Amino acid sequence: MSVEETGYPPFPAGETLLARTPDRARPDQGGAAEPLLEVTDLRVQFRRGGRRVNAVNGLSYRLPAGRMLAIIGESGSGKSVSVRALMGLLPETATITGSARFDGSELVGLPEPEMRGRRGADIAMVFQDPTRSLNPTMKIGLQITEAVRAHADMDRNAARDRAIELLQLVKLPVPERRLVEYPHQLSGGMRQRVMIAIALAAEPRLLIADEATTALDVTTQAQIMELLLELQERLGMAVLMISHDLGLAATYAEDVIVMYAGRAVEYAPAGTLFEHVRMPYTQALLGAIPRLDREPHAPMPSTPGQAPDLTALPAGCPFAPRCTSADEQCADEPPFAEHEPGHWWACWHPVRDGA
Amino acid sequence: MTTTAPPDPRESRVLSRVLGSPSVRLIGKRVLMAVPIILGVSILTFWVLSLIPGNAAQQVLGPDATAAQVRALEQELGLDQPAVTRYLDWLGGAVQGDLGNSLISGQPVSGELGSRLAVTGELVGLAFVISIGLAVPVALLAAYKPNRLVDRISMVVSITGLSVANYVLALLLVLVFAVQMTVFPAIGFVPLSEGVGANLHSLALPAAAIAFPLFCFYTRFLRGDLVDQMQGEDYIVTARAKGIGPWRVLLRHAFRNSSFGLITVVGLNLGTLIGSTVIIEQIFALPGIGQLLLQAINTRDFIVVQACVVVFAIIAVLANLVADLLYAVLDPRIRYGSR
Repeated sequence: MSVEETGYPPFPAGETLLARTPDRARPDQGGAAEPLLEVTDLRVQFRRGGRRVNAVNGLSYRLPAGRMLAIIGESGSGKSVSVRALMGLLPETATITGSARFDGSELVGLPEPEMRGRRGADIAMVFQDPTRSLNPTMKIGLQITEAVRAHADMDRNAARDRAIELLQLVKLPVPERRLVEYPHQLSGGMRQRVMIAIALAAEPRLLIADEATTALDVTTQAQIMELLLELQERLGMAVLMISHDLGLAATYAEDVIVMYAGRAVEYAPAGTLFEHVRMPYTQALLGAIPRLDREPHAPMPSTPGQAPDLTALPAGCPFAPRCTSADEQCADEPPFAEHEPGHWWACWHPVRDGA
Repeated sequence: MTTTAPPDPRESRVLSRVLGSPSVRLIGKRVLMAVPIILGVSILTFWVLSLIPGNAAQQVLGPDATAAQVRALEQELGLDQPAVTRYLDWLGGAVQGDLGNSLISGQPVSGELGSRLAVTGELVGLAFVISIGLAVPVALLAAYKPNRLVDRISMVVSITGLSVANYVLALLLVLVFAVQMTVFPAIGFVPLSEGVGANLHSLALPAAAIAFPLFCFYTRFLRGDLVDQMQGEDYIVTARAKGIGPWRVLLRHAFRNSSFGLITVVGLNLGTLIGSTVIIEQIFALPGIGQLLLQAINTRDFIVVQACVVVFAIIAVLANLVADLLYAVLDPRIRYGSR
């Protein structure tokens, strides 16, 4: 597989894409080991002024320990909501049903005090905008030690040492000085490193990166992704990466889930997914990526129509109204099933190779 | 590039660091801005007073005085001069610290002002402490669980408090606590020198009458701001994702950031707070500046009115300066200057 074949934009880390993907795309996990995270038929519904918004509609996936899974989809596809549901970070207007088992224990319906004990300790999260995600009036040091001391009985000095260690881990130069600085004194990339240090404070086994590089410029983006990758391998963490960026997912993740209208529509190891696209929606997403080999000034291909109204989802395939291959069969919901080994999709008319 | 070297580089560096510090620059700027404000207020007061029919000479001599007697006293007091001359006369004294003598009693205004300032200051301070001291914990409790019992109760109380004018409340308080229950005096003031307990006892009702509407307003404001922070700010999500307790999230993260809004509101409200003493001191017969101001207006004693108004203006300017400096203390982005 090469950049040309898959049609990814020349990416700053383009060589890494070539170098890493075949190596990292290990065969399917096979379900031999107990997965670290097993999400089954997860549903999230919001009450909004008497209406019900179905943000996540029966999402299922498995994430083995130490692996990196990317969930991709456009805005409103439910990717962020689905991971916030795992950590109990959704507002009270959300109703969560289904199951999410972390290391064998159920997260859905966990009472808040117990959920709080797991946040940061088992599952930690890095957010999209490091400028808004750090408290502007609090020193970096305190924001890190607070996370350290939330789960460990440590005095101030020990927590401070640990904070320095964490800042070294995320490769922030002069960590001692950073501790007494405020977020506004740091650059965007440095802030995101601080956010990662906070997330790593209690040595979580699962790190969720929710669009963690979206607000950063491309160079910084590549650096942060490389850092996450290195930390994943060094600390043996599983990483769940949320992104709308297919190129990013292809470069770094081992497995990819494509979400549409709150459900998974395609799921496969990264290499397989991009070489043998099956779901027309994934293909449409791939087609929408700007490419250098296209004729200059050619109109950007785009998918007609809009993402469906989550308050009134149509019966059948949610993508059907925008899909060029849709027919009357699509009025029945296609099952999300493993049609090829390790490759799942939900479509009656999958795309054929080379199409 | 050639520059003329300063005589002592070390000294000038220290000086420029002090003068260049944002807080010092802020104070300097505000003090300079206060000058036109206070000047404007005094001119406006003078002008409005000159529009009111009647003058101090008529007030002193009473309705039976002849026109000649009045004219004689006007000449003595300088009231026959045009308003501009009188104003400049007053201003000339005021900038040298002499606020003039009362037209009625002939006593220096500054002496009278001092003792009355103490009474009003105590009343305002007490109302301020009560309103903030109660509003902060109530707002925190309400925001801890929005739309639950504590929040609902505080909402009902606040709306009630905001709908009642403080003089109506003052009369109600007198009716209940002074007339029916007789636990607090209806009128009068016991100075601090006669004991703290007796002093606070005499100020309890007036302070409560001023503090209650403010308490309601601050509670509503802070509660709303806290809930907005808790539901809308990303760093709150980060804090929660760390697994720290809900009270810590509220106090450490939301409250710190909500305090900026509260400080602004409190600073802006201080004018209202001081203004409300005029009526409240009248109702409770407290010998404060508000009472003095009202008496002086009735007797057209413009020298005293001028002094009271200028004092109020200075306090309002100072209060806003303190609010601005507090931001600098609490918000590192201001303290270090925005970059």
